[in-house]
Amino acid sequence: MSSAVLMRRLQAQFVFLFLIVTYSQVLLAADLDALPEFLRSDPFGAIVAPDRSGADLASSLYGAKHQVVLTGCRGGYVSFHLVVKPPSPSTFTLDVTIPDPTNKVQIDLFREWFHFTDSDKRYYPDALIPVHATYSSRLPEPDNRIPKQTAQAFWVDVYVAPDTRLGIFSGTAKLKANSKITTLPIQLTVLACVIPGEDVVTIDHNSYGSSWLAQQFAGSYQRNSDDWFESNQFFELIHAYHRVFYEHRGIFHQLGYGHSGKVGPEFAPVLEGAGRAKHITSWGLYDRHYGPLFDGTAFSASRRGPRPIPFVYLPINPEWPASYEFWGERGYEAEFVNVVSEMERHFREKGWTHTNFEVFFNHKKRYKGFPWDGDEVRFPKDLKYFIEYGRLLKEALPADTPVHFLFRADVSWDMEQQFKVLNGVVKLWCAGGGILSLYKDAPEMLRNRGDVIWYYGGPPSVTDSSTAITEFSLRAWLWGVNGYVHWLTVSPGEDPWFHFDGGQTALIYSGERFGVREPIPSIRLKIQRNCLQDLALLDSLKRRKSLDSLRARAARSYNNSVLDDWWNSRPALADLPSDQWLGSAIDDATKHTQQALGHPGASAWYKVHQYAMSLQAEAK
Amino acid sequence: MKTVSLTGIFMFAILGIAKLRPEASVTMQKELQDVAHVGSVMLDGDVCQKIVTEQAKGFLFATDPRDRFLAGDNYDVDDVAFNAVKKTLTRLSHLASFPADVNLWMPIEGHPGKIQLVIRNRNEMSQFWSWGELYGDMLPQMETVLKTGRRVAVARKPGWISVLAPIHNSLGDVVGLIEAVSQVKVDAHENVK
Repeated sequence: MSSAVLMRRLQAQFVFLFLIVTYSQVLLAADLDALPEFLRSDPFGAIVAPDRSGADLASSLYGAKHQVVLTGCRGGYVSFHLVVKPPSPSTFTLDVTIPDPTNKVQIDLFREWFHFTDSDKRYYPDALIPVHATYSSRLPEPDNRIPKQTAQAFWVDVYVAPDTRLGIFSGTAKLKANSKITTLPIQLTVLACVIPGEDVVTIDHNSYGSSWLAQQFAGSYQRNSDDWFESNQFFELIHAYHRVFYEHRGIFHQLGYGHSGKVGPEFAPVLEGAGRAKHITSWGLYDRHYGPLFDGTAFSASRRGPRPIPFVYLPINPEWPASYEFWGERGYEAEFVNVVSEMERHFREKGWTHTNFEVFFNHKKRYKGFPWDGDEVRFPKDLKYFIEYGRLLKEALPADTPVHFLFRADVSWDMEQQFKVLNGVVKLWCAGGGILSLYKDAPEMLRNRGDVIWYYGGPPSVTDSSTAITEFSLRAWLWGVNGYVHWLTVSPGEDPWFHFDGGQTALIYSGERFGVREPIPSIRLKIQRNCLQDLALLDSLKRRKSLDSLRARAARSYNNSVLDDWWNSRPALADLPSDQWLGSAIDDATKHTQQALGHPGASAWYKVHQYAMSLQAEAK
Repeated sequence: MKTVSLTGIFMFAILGIAKLRPEASVTMQKELQDVAHVGSVMLDGDVCQKIVTEQAKGFLFATDPRDRFLAGDNYDVDDVAFNAVKKTLTRLSHLASFPADVNLWMPIEGHPGKIQLVIRNRNEMSQFWSWGELYGDMLPQMETVLKTGRRVAVARKPGWISVLAPIHNSLGDVVGLIEAVSQVKVDAHENVK
C-alpha cells in the first residue's frame, strides 16, 4: 500500500470517526439543549407560541462542533437558556461552568418557573429562581406541579467583568440523568469592547407604598407583625428591591403617599406643630430607609459597585408637609417652607447631593382627595396649583443649594400646554407615550432647556413575544428621551405561580416560597438589561457614526421600520383644549405608529444585537 | 314597611358596633356622634352642591367600549367650593381625640339608589368607599340619613366605626351626608398607594 493510499484511508477513517463523534453529540445534546435568550421553552420542550416567529434562531448558539458559542463585551452579561430534557422522568444534576482562575468570568444559574396563565391555559417561564451552578432535582419538578412535565429550562447569565482578559474561555454544561452524562461544550469569546457603565436611557420601575411587601413576604411579616415595618428585615428588603433593579441597569421608585395625602411612616420625617411652629422631630425611619440608598452603601456588594440612587420621590403632596386646611393662607406657606428648608439642610449636611429629590404630585381629583389633578392634568385650570408649588419650592430652597430638588410632572392630555406654561417650574417630565408620539420636536426642545424627559407605559405580558420588552428602551433611545417608566413592576397578582395574570404589573417576584429572602428577577427583566447593554454600546459609537444613522439602522434591524414610523403627526385635535379630548380620539391619532410598528417578532432584538456586535468588530 | 326597615338598620348598627372593643366603641362612638352633629350644623349644603361640575355629572354614567376611563377622565370639581368644604371637614376631624376623617357623600340627581364620595381626607379612612370608584350603591343607612335627617352609627367592618349625619341647604333640604369615621387600630400603611 502506498503512503498516499494509506493517507487517504486514514483521512477517510478520521472523517468517519469525526462524523460519529459529532453525530453522537447531536443525539446526546437532545437531553440538554441551549437556546438563545429570545426563545423560551415550555415545560414540554417546545418553544412557547409567541416566540416561534424567531424559531430560526434555535441553532444560532451552536458552532460547527455543536458547542455553545458565546461572544460578549466586557462589563456585562451574555445570556442563554439551557433546557434539560431527559428521555424519561428521572432525577438529574445540571452543572454549568466556565473555569476562570481570575474569577472575572462568573456564571449565575437560575431555574425558570413555569407560570400557568389563566387567559390562555398555557405555561410560560418568567420568574428566575437563583440556584447553585450545580443543581439537582427531578422531573416533573415537585414544586412547579406540572403534570407530565418533560423539560426544565434554566437561564444562564455569564458575567464578564470589565477587566477580564481578552480571548476564549472554555466551559461545559453537564447533565447527569438516568446514570447517563451529557456534555455540552461552551466557548466564550471575550471581546475588547467594554459596555459603558452609564445607560443612555434610564429605565425606571415604579411602585406604590410598601404594604405589598408584607403580603409578598408574608412569612417574614407574620413572624414579627407588630414591628415588621420598622425592622431591619423590612429596610433590608426595600434595599434588595433597589439592588435587583440596579443590577439589571434600572432604577426603582416607591411612592410614599396616598391620593388623599396619607404618608407612610418610612417615607417621611416625623412632623409636629402647626403653622409657623411646624417642624421635623425625627429622621429615624427616613434615614434608615434612605441613608444607604443616598450614599450608595446599599449597593456595596453589587457587581456595578456602590452608587447613590439617581432619583427618589419626596413625600411632598398637598397634605404634607403643609396641612391642606391652610391652603392659600400664610400658614400653608409657613409650614411648607419651614419643613422643606429643614429637609434641604438635612440632605446637605448628610452629603446627599447625588440624588434628584422629586417633588411630584400623584393625586387625581377622581380619587376625591384634592380638587386638582397632580397626575396627568386634563383641565388647564389646574396648572395654577403647579405654579404656586413652584413658588413655594423656590421660597424654601437656598439659591445655591447643592441638593438637587426637581419638580416632576407626569403629563398626558395637556402636555403640550404644560411644556409652555410650566417652563422653568417643572424640570422632570414623565410623559404618556401615546400622546408624546404626537410631538416629535418636544424631546429635543425640553432637553435643550435642561429638562429631563421620560415617557411611561407598562411591562408586556409573558404571553407577548420575548422581545416585546425591548421596544420601550429602544423607543426611548430612538425618540431621544432620557428614560422610560414602567408604571408598576412589583405586583404579580394574587397567585403568580399557578394562576398568573400575565405579569403586566410585575417584572420581579418574591423569592420567599423558594427560601430566598429577597426579590427574584424575571426573564423579561434580564432581556431588558441585555437590551440596555446593547443600547449603551451603540450609543457609545456616536463619535464614529452619526447618532441618526445608528438609530436608523437599529430601527431597520429591529422591525424594518424607519425613524418616522415611531412618530405620529400632530392631529387637529391638539388645537382643542385638552378637556375636550376623548380617549378614543387619541387612539385614532396614534394609529399610524401602531400600524407601522406592529408587534416585533422574537428575533427583533437579536438583529439589533448583531448590528451592535458587528460595529464592535469594525471598531476593532 | 318603612318602620321595619328602620328598625333593621338600627339593629344592624347596634350589632355592628358591638364588634368593637366595648370601651373603644363607647368613647369613639360618642366623639364621632359629636363630630357628626357639629358637622351637620357647620356644613353649607348649597356649597356642597356646587362641587361636582356639570361636565363631570354629564359623564358620570357614560361608557364607551373604546374608552374605559371616559367617566373618570371627565371627573371635575369646582375647586373653590371643594376647598371651602374640605377645610371645614378637616377642622371637624380635629374635634375627635383620635385620628378621624370626615368625608362628604352626595346623592346623584336622577340616579336614585346611587351615591358618590365627593371629598376624602388625610387619614384615607372610609367604611363605604371602594378604592377608585366614582360612585356606588347607596347603603340603606345612607338612605335613612337622607330621608329622615337623623344620624346613624355604622360598624360594617371589624374595628371600624362611622357616624353618618345629614347636610342641609338653605331651603332646608337634606342634600348630602358626612361620614365621621375612625378605626380602633389605625393601619399606617393602608391606602398609601
